Formats: sequence, C-alpha cells, structure tokens
Amino acid sequence: MIVCVAVVGHQNNPLYLQSFTEADDALKLHHIVHCSLDVIDERVNNPKRSAPTLNETFLGLLYPTENYKVYGYLTNTKVKFIMVTTDIDVKDADARNFFRKFHAAYVDAVSNPFHVPGKKIASRSFGSRVSTIVKSFGAGTTV
Amino acid sequence: MANYLAQFPDHQVLLRPHRRRCMFSYNWFPFATVEDVSDLWLNVKESFERRLPVKKACLNNKARNPVFVENLPAEFIQTTDSRLRSRFPQEQYLFWFREPYATVVLVTCEDLDEFKTILKPRLKLIVQNDEREWFIVFVSKAHPSNDQATKMAKKVYARLEADFNTKKRERCCKFDLHGPDAEFWDDFDSKMVDCIRNTLDRRVQFYEEEIRRLSEQRFTPIWNFCNFFILKHSSHFYLQESLAFMFEMSNLHEDSLREYDELELCYSESVNSPGKHREFGGLDAGDDQAALLNPGFKALTQIVQDDVFREFEFRQYIFACQAKLLFKLSRPTEVAARGYAFVVAFSKTLALHEFMRLAYLIGYGAEIEKSPINSASLSMLPWPKPATWPSIPPDSSSEIMAKEKMILQAKSREKLFNIHRKPLPLEPSLLLREANRRRAFLSVGNISELYDTADGSGLDGNSKLSPNRSTSSFIARTMSEGWEELLADVLPDLAECQKILSDEAGYLASCVKLLSLDSSLFSLKERQAFQSEVVRLAHSEMKHLVPLDVSSLITFAGNAGPPLELCDGDPGTLSVAVWSGFPDDIMLESLSLRLSASSTADEGRNIISFDIPPQKPGSYVLGALTGQIGKLSFRSHGFSQDGPVETDEFMSFEKPTRPVLKVRKPRALVDITPAVSSALLMNELQWIGLIVKPIDYSLKGGILHIDAGAELKIEESQMIEIENYRSDMEHSCSADSPIEAERVEKIPIENGKIKLPDWASDVTTLVWFPVRAIDNTIARGETPASPQKQSIVDGMRMIALKLEFGVFHNQVFESSAYCTSLHEHLVNAYVHMHVFLVPMGSRYWTGTMGTMIDDLHVILCSEVKASLHTKDMWLDLQSGFEHLGKGDGRPASNLFPLVVAPSSKAGILFIIRLSGTTDSDELENTDSILNVKYGISGDRTTGAHSPVPVNTGDSEELMFKIALKLKRPVLDPCLAVGFLPFSTDCLRVGQLVNMKWRVERLKSHEDASISGDEILYQIDANPQNWMIAGRKCGHISLSNAHGSRMEITVTCVPLVSGYVHPPQLGLPEVGEAKQTSGPERRTATLAPASLASGGMKASGGCVELMGTRKGSYLFIESQTRVAAARSPP
Repeated sequence: MIVCVAVVGHQNNPLYLQSFTEADDALKLHHIVHCSLDVIDERVNNPKRSAPTLNETFLGLLYPTENYKVYGYLTNTKVKFIMVTTDIDVKDADARNFFRKFHAAYVDAVSNPFHVPGKKIASRSFGSRVSTIVKSFGAGTTV
Repeated sequence: MANYLAQFPDHQVLLRPHRRRCMFSYNWFPFATVEDVSDLWLNVKESFERRLPVKKACLNNKARNPVFVENLPAEFIQTTDSRLRSRFPQEQYLFWFREPYATVVLVTCEDLDEFKTILKPRLKLIVQNDEREWFIVFVSKAHPSNDQATKMAKKVYARLEADFNTKKRERCCKFDLHGPDAEFWDDFDSKMVDCIRNTLDRRVQFYEEEIRRLSEQRFTPIWNFCNFFILKHSSHFYLQESLAFMFEMSNLHEDSLREYDELELCYSESVNSPGKHREFGGLDAGDDQAALLNPGFKALTQIVQDDVFREFEFRQYIFACQAKLLFKLSRPTEVAARGYAFVVAFSKTLALHEFMRLAYLIGYGAEIEKSPINSASLSMLPWPKPATWPSIPPDSSSEIMAKEKMILQAKSREKLFNIHRKPLPLEPSLLLREANRRRAFLSVGNISELYDTADGSGLDGNSKLSPNRSTSSFIARTMSEGWEELLADVLPDLAECQKILSDEAGYLASCVKLLSLDSSLFSLKERQAFQSEVVRLAHSEMKHLVPLDVSSLITFAGNAGPPLELCDGDPGTLSVAVWSGFPDDIMLESLSLRLSASSTADEGRNIISFDIPPQKPGSYVLGALTGQIGKLSFRSHGFSQDGPVETDEFMSFEKPTRPVLKVRKPRALVDITPAVSSALLMNELQWIGLIVKPIDYSLKGGILHIDAGAELKIEESQMIEIENYRSDMEHSCSADSPIEAERVEKIPIENGKIKLPDWASDVTTLVWFPVRAIDNTIARGETPASPQKQSIVDGMRMIALKLEFGVFHNQVFESSAYCTSLHEHLVNAYVHMHVFLVPMGSRYWTGTMGTMIDDLHVILCSEVKASLHTKDMWLDLQSGFEHLGKGDGRPASNLFPLVVAPSSKAGILFIIRLSGTTDSDELENTDSILNVKYGISGDRTTGAHSPVPVNTGDSEELMFKIALKLKRPVLDPCLAVGFLPFSTDCLRVGQLVNMKWRVERLKSHEDASISGDEILYQIDANPQNWMIAGRKCGHISLSNAHGSRMEITVTCVPLVSGYVHPPQLGLPEVGEAKQTSGPERRTATLAPASLASGGMKASGGCVELMGTRKGSYLFIESQTRVAAARSPP
C-alpha cells in the first residue's frame, strides 16, 4: 500500500505532499520524503553509479526504512516524485508504471493555465487523480 | 577447558593488577634486565635510568626493514625481580614477548686474579644462554686521581674485552663511576638498541613460524576458533595478538595494526566456517550501547575463561584495538572509515540475529533510539525484514505486552522550551540520513572514497561539532522551502544541541528561526519562550557582541506611495514600516537603516522614522536594518517583500524592489523673478512683487530673507501679501475652466524674514512686499538741449534675497547656488522708480536789455506704467523771474485734472518774465521749483501704483517737486560768433569741408580785463566724428573797435554719417574773463536769425551759438545729399 506520495520542485520545495494513511503520521512521512531528497541528490550528483541509467527518470528504490520503502522518480525539469510504500515486495516495473501515470497527472496539472509554476499544486482534480493512481497501484500488482 | 586455563596463575594480576580487564597490559615496555654481579646497581641505577626512554632506536619491522623509533620506552629491572621469577615453563614462550629484551651485566673488579678465578666463570655462566641478548658494563670505581687504581681497572677491562668481545660483536663497555664520559653513553645506547633489535627480530621470526604452522592446522576439521582461541595457548590467535602487542610495545604501531588486521581476517574466516556458532549478542546492561572504541569494555579474558565469550564482544574488541592504534597513528579518518565498514558489516550480522528488536521490546524500550549505533545499524538492515524473528522465550509474552503498553504510554521526551511532540520514527533519524548519504555514493567497503570526502568534512578531529553541523545543514535545506512542519520538529533539537555546546550565535539563530516559523506550528507560550530566550541571552550571558540575522523575523518595507524625493545634500526623514515577528513586544535598543542604491534608477507593523543623512544622488531601496538588543546585534536584510511575511508567494522574491527614496542631482529647485519690470514711485511705499516658483520641490517651511540695501526700506509695519500666481499663459489656458479661488494671505515680516505658508510650498506664488525707495535729492528738470543722461543704474535699488527651505520645518537648507541665483535675480528685481518732469523749451532770450516776456514749456512725461492725474501744478520761480500777470503761476483751473497716460507726455506753458531786481549771485544759486500735485492710478502688477497707505487718512495725493534752473538771457553781448554756411551743398564722409566762423565785436572794448586785441579761439570736436585738419586753437587779433570782425576757417573731415554735432568754436578766454570779471557774458552771442527753421542759414552773419553748441546737429550723408544742420526731432 502506498502511504505517501510527494512532488518536490527543482529547488527541493514541496509542491504536493499527500499521505494515504489513517494514522496521524503525516510528519513522519514528510520526514521520510525529506530524507529521500538527499538520496536523490547524491544519485544525481554522482553519475558514476547512475552511468548505465543516464536517461532513466525512474530512480528505483531510494532506501528502505524499517517499515517503508521509498521510490523516486526524477523528471527532466528536476521535479522529483517520491513514493513511500509499505509493500515488501514491489516490482520495479510496477513502480515505474506508477510513476509514469503520476508524471502524466502532474503534467496535466501544471499545464493548467491557472497554475503558477513553482507553487504548490492546489488542483483538486489532480488530488483525486493521484488517489486513483495510488489505489490502483496495489491492484496493479495483483493483476 | 576452562580449568586448563585456570591452572595458570593470573598473569594479568601478576603484571598490572589495575589492568586486569584487558587482555594485555598496555604499559608494558621492553625492558632490560640487570644482572647485578657486583652489587653495583644501586650506584648506577639513577644514571642508567636517566637514559630512558631509549632515543632514536632503529628497529626492524616484520618485513625486516629498519624503522626508527624516536622514543622507545624501556625499563630496567633486576634479574631478581619478582616479575621474572614466577613464570611457568609452558607459559614462557607464549609470553615470551614479555621476556627481557636485553640483559645488562654489571661487573666490577679491581684485581686480575679475582677476575680470572671468580668473575670470568660466573660471567660465562650467565651469558651462555643463547636466548638472551646481553652485554657487559664494566664499572670502574677508580678515582681519576688514583693512578694505580685507574691503571688496574684498565687492565681488568682490557682482559674483559679480550674474553667476551667477538669479532662480530663488541659486548663490553666501561663505565667510570667518577664522571663517565659521553662516549660511554653512546656506546651504551647502541649496545642496548642492538640487543633489543636482535631480540625482537628473533621473537618475531619465532612467532611467524608458529603462526604459519597453526594456520595450516586451522582448516582441519577438528579445529574451531574456540579451541583455537581458548584451548591452545600456543594458538594462532594469541600468538598473533602477542606479536601485535609486541610491536605495539616497541612503538611499531603500523606493524601492530597489521597484526590486528590479520587477526580479524583470521577471525572472520574461522567464524564463518561451519561448526559451533558462538552466542552472538550481549545481554548485559549497556550492551546496546556498544563502546566501539573501548578495548577494555569487557573483561574479555574473564569471558574467555568462563567460555561465555560472544561474537559481538570479540569483534568489538578487535575493532577497538585497531581504532586505538589508528588514533595513535593520527589517522582518525581511517577509524571512521573502518568504523563505517564495521557498522555495515555488523549490520548484516545483526540482521541475522535481530537481537536489537528483542532488546527493544524486552529490555530498553524507547530509550534504545538514543544509541546512535543502534539507529545506524538498524538503518543498514537490508530489506525485507527477516523472515523469521528470533524466538522469544515462551514465558515472555506477558512481559512483551507490558512493555509495549509502556512504550505506547511513554511520554515523549521533553525537548527544549517544553515542546511536546511525538518522536519521529527511529529509522529516518538523522543518522539514518547520514548513513544513507554515504551509502548513496559508497559501495560497502569502498573505503578510499570515504577518505577523499572525509578530509574536509565532519570526520575531522572536530567531531564534537559535527552533529551540530550536519543538523544545521539539514535545517538549512529545510528552511524556507515549505518544510516548516518538519523543521518545527527538528529545530528544537538543534537548538538544544547548540545550547549544550554553548554555540551562542547558532542558538540564537535557531531561536530566531523557530520564531519565524509559521505561528500555527507553536503555541503562543512556546513562542514566548523562544523570545525570552533570545532576550535573556542578549542581555546577560554573552561576552561579546553576537551578530544575528533576523531577516525572517524582522522585516521592513517602505511605505506605500511614491518614494520620498530629496535633492542632493538634503537630509530627510524616511518612514519605514517594520514588522516584528516576535510574539511579544520587544525592546530594540537601537535601529539603523542602511540604504542600498538601486541599480536602475500590528503585532508586527510599526512605523519608524529614520533620519537620513544627505545621500548621493540616485534611487534607493531599503537595504538592511540593523539594531541591537543588549549585546545582540541583529540585522535584517531587505529581500524586501512589499507585503507582510506570510504571503507564500514563491515568485514574489523576484519582484523588483520598490525604491523608497530618490535623491536628485543638483539642480535649480526654485526660481524667483520680479513680477514687475517697470519703474515705481520714488519716496513712496510701493509694492514689489516676487514670483516664487518652486521647481518640483516643496518649499514647505521655507523662509525668505529680504535684505533691502541702502536707499531702500522695507516697511515692516505692513503685512506681506502672498497670492497665487498664474502667468498670462496659464490664465489664457484656464479661461474655460472654473477660475480657482485666488488665495491671498497676509503674513508679517520680521527682521526681513518671511515664513512661507504651507499652502504656498508647492505652487507658484507672488510675494508682495512694500518698500520705499529713498531719495532725498530733489529731481532736477532737464532740457532737451542738455539731457541729463541719467544712468538707469542710478535709479536702481538692490534687494538681496535668500530663501531657506528644505523638506521639513526647522531644517535649514542653504545652498550657495540658490543664493547666487537669487542674487542674480535681484538685479532684475531691482526697483526702478523714477518719475521725472521735463522742463523743455526754456528759451533763453536773446536780445537787448529790457523786460522780456517768455513762455516756459513744461512737459510732463510719465515714465511709470500708470496714468497720472495731475490735480494741481504751480511754479515757484526763482528770484529774477516772475509770473506774468502777478498770479501764482497756476495754470487755469479748468485744466485740471490733467490725465497723463502711461508713457505719454503732456505739456504745460508758463508765461514768465524777468523781474527788475537782479542780483547775479542770487540768480546763480537758486532754483525755480515746479510743484505738481497728482494722483496715480496704476496696478502693482504692471508697475507704479498708488502708494500703500501707511496710516489711515493719508491722502492719496502725491506731490512732485522738481527744480528748474532758469537762466537770465544774455543782456550784455559784446562778441558774436557766427557760423558761416558751407561752401558746398552737402557734407560727405571723408570729404574735406571748410568750416568758417565769424567773430564780430558788438561793442567797443571797454573792459581792461580782456587783453587787447588778441583773442584765443579753440575748436572743439568729437574726434570720433570729425577729423580736424588744421589748427585747433589759435589767436586772432580783433580790433577793439565796434563792429570789427574776423573769420576763422578750419578744414574738417566728417568721419561718420548721420546727425552729428558740428565742431564748435569756443572763446575760452572770454569765458574765463566772464567768470572773473562777473557780469560780462560774451560767449552767448546770438545772431538775430536763429536756427529755428532747422537749416543753418547765416542770415545776418551770425549763428545762434548756444543752441548750436549743444542741441544742433549736422546731417552727414554718406551719399550725395544736401547736408543740413538740423534740430533734433
């Protein structure tokens, strides 16, 4: 189950941050997302390790924590997508697929002429679309 | 097995009782035994021990390469020492490294026989043991003064050398008890080092062989580490550690470290081999806080003896030993690198055992997170969780329940400022992040990269501050990027850390950051706590001024509206809105503002006015706001948002900042011109108008200084009038628009100063002030024949003006530029007031004696731009003249009022005659006075006007008096000078012309004062007009007879065309004679035919003289034209 997704701008400013848990652990998830930015930075700034995946937007597993796994995705405009999941066994293809959909939703959201680039995404339709994608993530793995 | 070990005496106790927890003592130095054959030790002990530690010892390392050890610690013990005594044979080679490294045999002997019989056999016995390295010190007791004893000692020593030295090696040296020489000590040291080196080499060799032998055994099935370690005393491990220890003792740390490395490798090989697994984790208190760097953390020997030794403990011990050596080698970075690898490797092992989780549940609860090693280790755990949890004791379920409950109920630990928050989860803690940072670019075991990155970063010696620093960097990222909630949670930790480290500046900065976070994140009480911390620190604890950036907390902006405009050199007051983010009021002890030149050219809001010193021309935005609270000097930068802080306009940072101040380049700020350029009335109170025109600059509070010079007086009893001014053009433009109410204000003038009213500060105004031009001289009439070429400057009066103005009241703004410009204006503003009446046509009667009647034309000419109403006029005649008809000289009353329009003339005719009695002196000295009583109707905006009434009831009638000098006609002519007509019809420029005068004696010469018949004549001509080609003066002889005449001819060339005065003939002697002799007036001789008709015709042979002299002109044509002498138009 995905517990949190986030869109982080190229200046590491959060653009969208949504958790999907009942518990009051939003701050904890923020923290996880924030920590993952460092990992992304390191990966991006040390191309040695990412040489074979030069044009790969999907960053894969950023790091595991005790209860979560954090996946990352970096667009060409240096906007980062971060996904925190509790699933133990996540296939890379699923995560990749998820991010692709997420990216499409994001592109649609920022294409809105009323959206100010660099500001938080307030679009409700984006939120509902993300919820749908998140919900379908678990379903996708079963199929 | 343990019993087997136990049968050995506790060598640790033996060696260093206080070090029993360690496997080996660390203060155990290589020593030399002293075989005190001749009971000399006490005599030489002190001087021997002074040589310790051994300096610059050259030892061989394991690879047989020489290594220099600066200070080799060593110790002398006697062979009788208890430490050497209690060795069991089995133990000896294991602890061989403890055996003495050198044996010093101290001998003395004073007799050769004694040496041969007793000493030599004994020495042979001592040195026969090959295992030992020995040398002999022969101590000579002989005093230097005792020659015989010295000689004997030398003999014995020579014998000793012969017996014990070999070709390969000298083993003897001689020590003089009475003053040993320096050579001895060098000798001694080198022998000692030789011994130690040899011993070391031999032992290393032995150990190596032994280890090799054992290693070969290691992979045999019966071998396991426990056996290896515990059962076999002669085991690899102990041997290896012995070797390592030996090196360490010899200060060969590098070698020692290498041994430990090998030992670790050996251990990991053996521990991974199948066989019995040791217990893994620790269960003692404190085991979860593994002291990685403390080799003495566990009494390992004891554990080994008890056979409860655990893998973790052993690994920790080896790591600690390595770390210790690395620190000794000054390579802390390597400690960190190895530590990292150790943690990573150990985490893998941990994953298998998961004892931490158990400990978490059973033993230590929430507190476990405080252990950095745990957190780091846990974060290293590979995903997923272990498939099977380690088994929990069956009876512990209730205990776990209770524990879990306790954890859930456990209060989160209190943070600084009494903030209560849920703790962040264990795993993404700071250490996790740090570990991940490194793992992101480090593969496990790739240590070299860590060295590269470690050099400049937190891994250096300053480890105390490094968590602080890394947290700071974390916070720097979190700041201002929308992670406020996260920051609110972490920042108090940093603040606490900084407080503990007494990093005042950092702590204050953290407090400020906490305050500047969104106020909803903290309660008011908490925020007040932050503030009180800041204030408390600011006022009490800090020793030095601490700078602090409060940009996020104290913001400022210029007020809305156009920027304040100042001119170059103006000081000013700028109003700035300052927002304070402090929850309570805060006392700012000082505030100052820095302006930065721009390239182009409630809680909370406070309006503060700053006095701005004069700035250079340019446009300014708000720069930085600085101030002080106690010893805290804070500073707020102007990344100026125009609005309040809470707007989360991300893009708003890029807005150009609005200029708050514009300082103009020097320019004219005001223009003052006189309103009237016409003449005004003399000696009357007249208005002078000044147009004060501000040029885009407020004259608010301006003070106008008016300094009238001499002959001009400002009537201070009168009020100054200020009114709106609109030029004619403006009038015409605004003809259609409703006319603005003309505003007129009367203000007093004091000491020549006028304070401009506020309404007049921005509009062009007309300032009227009354002055009186003073001229006590009486005007003199002039005749057209002799116009008093009065300079216009004579009638001018000067006013000095100075306008002090600036932006604000009471601020004197003086600039010489303005003063000079005002002075220039003053020249124009000068008041020219002159009315003069021109008597004209004062005809001087020619003729013979008798009472003549003549008319006196008086022409009134108004030179002011106002019409004059002449109400009365009379002429007070000087004596010698009288009005015809015995009247008072007034014209007929129906003439009045006579209105003279501006710049026009009016003529009045008085008929006068000579009165009988004449006294020539009186005639000369008195004037006739023409009195004119008149009124004036004019507008002050155009020129002269009726005078300002000083007192009520002052009549508006004005009196004008002018003096006329009437001259009596020439009554007694005796000579007549006549100008003869030209021979040619026209005078042309450049053409010679003969001028002829005829002088005729009118009556016979009676006066003796006029000398004989010689008369001096003189031609007077303007040299610019005429060139005289002949004698200008000379004498003519004229007979005394009545009617005698003479002609004078002078050739002249006219130089210019137009009307020019002709040359004049004068008879200066006659004139002078007149002055001396009195009544005779001969110069003024007129021919009966005058010039009245204009042409100069010599009818009757005489030409009117007087008129010709001053009033006549000759017309000179440049072309062919009849020249004519004409009267002026």
